[in-house]
Amino acid sequence: MNRKRIRLWDLPTRLFHWLLAAAVIAAIVSGQLGGNLMAWHGRIGLLIIGLLVFRLVWGVLGSTYARFAQFFPTPGRLGSYLRGEWRGEGHNPLGALSVFALLGLLTAQAVSGLFTNDDIAFTGPLFELVDKAASNRLTGLHHLLSKLLIGLVCLHVAVIVFYGHFRKQSLLKPMITGWKDDATGESARGGGPVALLIALAIGIGAAWGASGDWLPAPPPPTPAAETPDW
Amino acid sequence: MKSKLLLALLAITLTGTAAAQLKPEDAIKFRQSGYGFMAWNMGRIKANVEGGQFNKEEVIKAANAIQAIANSGMGALYLPGTDKGTGWEKTRVKPVFFTDKEGVAKVAMAFNKEANEMAKVAATGDVAAIKEQFGKLGGACKACHDDFKIKQ
Repeated sequence: MNRKRIRLWDLPTRLFHWLLAAAVIAAIVSGQLGGNLMAWHGRIGLLIIGLLVFRLVWGVLGSTYARFAQFFPTPGRLGSYLRGEWRGEGHNPLGALSVFALLGLLTAQAVSGLFTNDDIAFTGPLFELVDKAASNRLTGLHHLLSKLLIGLVCLHVAVIVFYGHFRKQSLLKPMITGWKDDATGESARGGGPVALLIALAIGIGAAWGASGDWLPAPPPPTPAAETPDW
Repeated sequence: MKSKLLLALLAITLTGTAAAQLKPEDAIKFRQSGYGFMAWNMGRIKANVEGGQFNKEEVIKAANAIQAIANSGMGALYLPGTDKGTGWEKTRVKPVFFTDKEGVAKVAMAFNKEANEMAKVAATGDVAAIKEQFGKLGGACKACHDDFKIKQ
């Protein structure tokens, strides 16, 4: 088989990946520190929702290796990978499991965050849509998932280090440059400007929906003149 | 005769203290009321420093209310055995609150300090300083929530 340099990750996929990585780190730090950073924690959460929804759409409309159908870990593919018979580019079937786990967990984390409260002064943007007991349960879930998520992110990074050190294969470089040297497949195709615009629009729409800006505005505060002295 | 008198005295004293003692259910209710009332006042300060109109008097009232509750000696409401029970709702205090006295004292004193500072800063009417202190006060609340409040 002839080995050549191929276009593996398209630019939107790479931008998505690094923006998401930065946003997740910022969300973890702001959430742990709390205080006035909670306002940023909420904003970052909306960015993450926008990014995740963009990625879900891009998994259908994007270029070859970004498509979910391309790397969906079916039992057949997983079996062949574990027997050492799988040949291909992009996410291998085991890695694909991790991709879907990360995307799924992040989605659950971001969505649960919309309904949280911290019993101090922060409420998620859609807190008004649920009662306090439900919000408390979702807040508990949000805390629990954060631990799972940090674990999965550590595993993700550890595997990349493992590939670099022991398999002498840099997974980092293609995710930065988009190119993979010494590959056996074909360059990625598809995912043109129209697909990009559609995915961007849906992503931005989702972030707006999650922001709760469409909720009826709270009643204006009682004018000072009418506030009783006590 | 003397011993009988003593016994009677003892009995009166005992029932007296028993009557003055809080019922666990009430202690939990008062706890929850205090935190809920502080949450209302935190929300008032937040509304005044985030975007909308700044009303100095509102912020002072809210900060003073939080300060008063912070200094009210709420620790007395954590009676032995009230790690479980229901006030307005089921208590969410962690059992470790009743054993880790040092840890509790640390977060409680940090909270008192920030609440006192909040009232002081509120009196100045300096919006930027109030916002900053509000963040510190929220952080002090969080420190205790992180260690001693059950996440449902």
